[in-house]
Amino acid sequence: MRKILNVILVFSLLIFLCGNTGLAQKRIILKLGIWPEPTLKSDVLMFEKWKKEFEKKYPNVQIIPATYKYSPDTFIPLAESGNLPTIFETWFTEPQKLIAGKFVKDITNELKKKGWDKLMNPSVKQILSKDGRIYGVPRDAYALGMYVNLELFEKAGLMNPDGTPKYPKTWDELAKTAKIIKDKTGSAGFCLLAKDNAGGWHFTQIAWNFGAKLQLQKNNKWYANLNSPEVISALNFVRDLKWKYNVLTDDPTSEDWGSGFEAIATGRAAMYLGAQDAVNQPTQVYGMSLDKLAIVPVPAGPKGHQYSLMGGTPYMFSAKATSEEITSALNFLEIMGKAPVVTSDSLAGMKADAENRVKNGVPVIPSFPAWIAEDWLKAQENIVKQYRNVDMRLYNDYYNWIKKPNVLKSEEPYLTQDMYAELTKVLQAVVSDKNVDIKKLLDTANNNFQKLLDMYVNKK
Amino acid sequence: MRNKYRKNIAGWLVMLPSIILFTFFLWEPLIASVIMSFYSAKGIRLEKFVGFQNYSEVIQHPDFKAAFSNTFAYTFWSIVIGFLVPIILAIIINEIIHFKGFFRLSIYLPNVIPGLAVAIMWLYIYKAGKTGLLNIILGNLGIAPQAWLTKSHLVIPLIVLFMTWRSAGATTLIYLAGLQGIDPELYEAASIDGAGLWARLRYITLPQIYNLARTLLILQIIFVFQVLYEPLVLTNGGPNNASTTLMLLVYKYAFEKFDYPKATSISVMIALILMMLTTLYNKIIKENEM
Repeated sequence: MRKILNVILVFSLLIFLCGNTGLAQKRIILKLGIWPEPTLKSDVLMFEKWKKEFEKKYPNVQIIPATYKYSPDTFIPLAESGNLPTIFETWFTEPQKLIAGKFVKDITNELKKKGWDKLMNPSVKQILSKDGRIYGVPRDAYALGMYVNLELFEKAGLMNPDGTPKYPKTWDELAKTAKIIKDKTGSAGFCLLAKDNAGGWHFTQIAWNFGAKLQLQKNNKWYANLNSPEVISALNFVRDLKWKYNVLTDDPTSEDWGSGFEAIATGRAAMYLGAQDAVNQPTQVYGMSLDKLAIVPVPAGPKGHQYSLMGGTPYMFSAKATSEEITSALNFLEIMGKAPVVTSDSLAGMKADAENRVKNGVPVIPSFPAWIAEDWLKAQENIVKQYRNVDMRLYNDYYNWIKKPNVLKSEEPYLTQDMYAELTKVLQAVVSDKNVDIKKLLDTANNNFQKLLDMYVNKK
Repeated sequence: MRNKYRKNIAGWLVMLPSIILFTFFLWEPLIASVIMSFYSAKGIRLEKFVGFQNYSEVIQHPDFKAAFSNTFAYTFWSIVIGFLVPIILAIIINEIIHFKGFFRLSIYLPNVIPGLAVAIMWLYIYKAGKTGLLNIILGNLGIAPQAWLTKSHLVIPLIVLFMTWRSAGATTLIYLAGLQGIDPELYEAASIDGAGLWARLRYITLPQIYNLARTLLILQIIFVFQVLYEPLVLTNGGPNNASTTLMLLVYKYAFEKFDYPKATSISVMIALILMMLTTLYNKIIKENEM
């Protein structure tokens, strides 16, 4: 009995070894964390198609769907246990943190081989790089504009005869427009965020347009500049929105990025800061009809400053991935049409994406140029034109504005999330208490943030 | 000697599963996090020993002071609002004759609902504007809608109210069990001696559950000191840090900044504070008893 068992064991071991060496003949396994969730049925179908095409073209690569929706509380366990998919999508706030933690792979060499390093939009590349090495590729980038609910504008009599909204061009006008909307419709004129760091993020956009510079560099040291007169006037403006005009939603401290889009979609608020890359939020997610939505430029400040805060949503790669796996992942992006190359595959990918948007009631509007390859941009423009499902006059002002020089502005460089946290606390105090001392609040925030800068940035 | 082990082997076998479970899921992680709090790390990979640097940086962080004093405020309010509620409930239910089972079940029900679901439900209760449940109720009395959770002086008591609603039921059941363990003869004897309701309560019921109450008080302090998901869901620590807690800082260090060593250093501090409080409390109680 024992003998038989031994023979079986040896045999199975042999078979296992043979099988293994057979497989080891360059069978690359590509785990796609960017695979859509099973509930997004039409997206899954799209990916299935791409997968088939990919496997036809690269028969030595096996694609394994490994859907991963990035979330900070699941990321570390996944990464530390070595189960991170080869490629995954993360948030625009995360790259520097992930690079510092050595969770993601340096892909500079692979990008150089493909020549993509030179085609990346420089400001996007900066977000994804550290010490001259690149760690990700952009899915797309964003530039903040202002979402407008046209139904409320109509009810408040704020439409031009040609069907475009009379949207506010300055923050001062915004307060007045918001007041008219509130008086005539009962809905909030503007949705301000103050629940989490997104509050500080949006407030940075407002403060910039009031002329503020939030971080300054002097003699190789970084200084917090959160209590400058410009920030004070921006914050005074926010206070007026709440306590003088009363045009904000009921409780700004309960509003976050997602609830803002819900407010726009359901008519709870008429105006909200948002970027073109989130356009599926009010439409696909909250069911807003396409003819009720417009995106317009962010209002200008009292001295004419009118920036648009920009950033990018990146694809990043598991630190454990091999060079071949990275290259395969980049090849897959090509088939999806997310890479800066124009081939029949990538064109088909872009078309599939546009078709999918039309099917799901998401506006087909130009994406923000994350790549600067001329032919790719042209191809994308053509496809957007072909599948257009919205009146572009509702978006043109925004797109023309962000093409102007000196409009796009990257986020402040250091400890950005900590700075947003400080600003969010200040916003919370302002919208929850009419009589707060704004100067004192900002002094505290400034001291707090300076302390962090000294602790983590200036000591190096 | 060998014989002795052999004799006890059944006992060891019975204990083995829990020893293994404790080692893997409690003691090992516990010791690992204490060690981690003295190191710098990438993710959970330790890099180098840094002594008390994590502790000092955490304490210097602008949010620490607020979190520290708020955590004590939560504990204070939970004792003011929440400590007597289960005792009173238990005594009332113990005295009820009809539908006792129904009441016992209904006070325990909030415990059965998943924590996050309850928190979100209370979010709708406290919601600002005309659509908040509390505002609707008060609106009938002619009170204008309030943004409840933005009131920095009220926010902690409001959250504690929610916590009490959620957890009082479980504690009530323990008290009820304690009350039912009291020998009925004591009451009979007291009645014969002419003791009224209050006297019976004062001289029999309360002394009989005194030890139980003492233990439950410490448990409550330990429980409330680690308050996390209630403020996380209801206010995210706001407005302006008015409801942030030490555990919320732990959460933010660990899951927003991926800075596990700092998260563990706050956890260690929480454990130390709780140990000190418990020792102090027991000492005071002992002295009083002597």
